[in-house]
This record gives sequence, C-alpha cells and structure tokens, in this order.
Amino acid sequence: MGQNINLKALVDRQLDIEFPGGVELLAFSDALLGSDVNALNNARKTLENSMGPAAVSAASIIAATFTKNDRVANGSGIPAEPRMMDGAEDIREMLGLKNFRSAINTYRHLPEGHP
Amino acid sequence: MSFYDDSKYPVNEDVSEIHARQFEQLGSPGTWGTSALRIAIVNEARQAGYEAGVMEKPDNPGATPDVKLSEVAHRVIRRLAVSPKEMDQVFYDQAIGEGLTDVEYVEILGLIARFTCFDVFARGIGVPLRPLPEAQAGSPSRARPETAKIENAWVATIPNPPDGGELAKELFGLWQPYIMRGLSLVPEEFKAHHELEEVQYMPAAHFMEFDYQHHDGLTRPQAEIVAARISALNECFY
Repeated sequence: MGQNINLKALVDRQLDIEFPGGVELLAFSDALLGSDVNALNNARKTLENSMGPAAVSAASIIAATFTKNDRVANGSGIPAEPRMMDGAEDIREMLGLKNFRSAINTYRHLPEGHP
Repeated sequence: MSFYDDSKYPVNEDVSEIHARQFEQLGSPGTWGTSALRIAIVNEARQAGYEAGVMEKPDNPGATPDVKLSEVAHRVIRRLAVSPKEMDQVFYDQAIGEGLTDVEYVEILGLIARFTCFDVFARGIGVPLRPLPEAQAGSPSRARPETAKIENAWVATIPNPPDGGELAKELFGLWQPYIMRGLSLVPEEFKAHHELEEVQYMPAAHFMEFDYQHHDGLTRPQAEIVAARISALNECFY
C-alpha cells in the first residue's frame, strides 16, 4: 500500500508535505538553488542528521540532474509528450503548472480547449 | 584517485568517473566550438552564478582561456545559467536573429545544462567547484545531422526512427522522449546528456518501476520530491 503525499507542498512551502524526509529534502532543495550559503550549510546538516550522509549525496545528484533537464527543456522549447499530458490535468491545475512560462511550449501544440 | 576525494559524503564511483570524463572532454574541441571557446562558455556561466550568489567561486577555477564571447552568446549563456525559467521563444528567436546559429545555441545549451549540473552537485555535497581543464588544440567537427528538422521544439531535433534515419536508430534505439532529443541537433551533446541520465537519475529500463531505488539513501518517492521541487523552482513545465 502506497504512502500519501501532499503534492501541493511542492509549490507552496507553507504546507506540510506529509511524507517521511520530505521537509528536510524540500529545505535542502530550496537552499541548494538559493543564494544563502549559510542556509545551505544548515539544510545539508539537517538532512544528514535526519536521513544519513548518503541522503545528502543522493539529493544532490537528483537536484543536479533535474537542474540540467530543466535547462534542456526550457532552453530548447520542447513540448511534453501527449502521453505525459493524458490524465494529469488535476495535478497540473493543483500545482499551477500552467502559469509557468515554459507551459506554452506544450499548449501551443494542443487543440484549443485542451485542459 | 576519485574526482570527489575531498567529499565527506559518499559519492558513487560511476558518478565520479562520468563527471571526471566529461570535465576532461571539455578540454577537447566540440562540434561547433573550439575547446577554448567551450571552456570560456562554462566560465561565463559560472561567473553569472557567482554574481547571482548561487555559486561560490573556488580557489582554483582552472583554465580561463582568453576568448572574447559575442554579445549575443554572452546574453544567452547568462540567461541559461541563472534564469532558466525566463527562457522563451522570443528570446531564442532574437538570439538567432542576432547571428548565433541554431547548432551553436544547442551546443551552448548542452554545455551549460551539464556543467551547471556538475556545479550544483559539488555545491550540494559541500566541495569546491571542480577546476576546468586546459584547452587543447584542434578544430570542431562541424557535423550537422542531415535528418534534423523542426518538429515541435524551437530548435531542430532528430526525429525518432524511422524518420530520423540510421543516426536516430543509433542514438535513440526505438524511441526517445523530447527531454532526451532536445539536444540531438548536436549528437555529442545528446550522448553526454543521455549517459548522465543513466548514471545520475536511473537507467531508462527502470523508469516505470516505481519501487525501483537507484540511490543509496533515498527511496524513489523521496528522489521524486527533490526532482519535483527543483523543477518547480526552475518553472519547468515538462
């Protein structure tokens, strides 16, 4: 049986993600892309204390990978594949993804009125 | 000696090896840029990161070749380096209109995406950014894939097989999503991006196994929390 997760906390940091390790991972992710090196050092230490040193390495390589992929996607203007769009309207709506500047790269290829 | 020997956090050997290799390859000519130009591009991206406060300048940044970047290249590099969420087609079209070719743009995009990745990883584990290699002599290959064309991205891409021909079969196998093909106008950048994905995120064969754990220390859902938050910060719809 799967664990629940509060997805909205991915875009609203006032909310609790309600998943083990989620609070520490979100704080580390924010600090890693942020400009406060003290906040980063604190978030790294908190993550290490809570989940162990391997979690710091793993979170860093995942963050690094997606910051690469985000640049590739936003910088090349690629659309999401139709298979990725099917059946996920409620999640896109909840997370406000349509408000991202990069959303147009997908929606310009969809029929008018597509959710 | 490992590429990340100075890390107090464990780094998988395959990650160390691939990062070391891709840093070394930066010292060789690319498809459209000389080695010196490519190193200058990465240095400019790093400079933008230092100025934005999102990277710390290391004591030893490595090579800093004396190459003057064009004004348009300078602008593209800086936008990609520190403001990826502000990228749009107007900006891309303007860059092309001002003389940057589409292939040069894609090589710049691939380089900045990869080296920002390496730098974010170093920052994450608390080690200095790795020094850039010395530039080697040689000319870029300047090979443009014959089957590349405008599909649904701003940049030309190699279509999936069969439309993309033999090169598509060689590069993609049966099929690749746009997130992989986005750099295919410069096949060497596609290859470098693809090999990082297999090591850093997970082998594609396991992608749909939701209980597959590729990283020591994080379950798949925990890894996806980091991935989703980073993409939200970068406002990546894909």
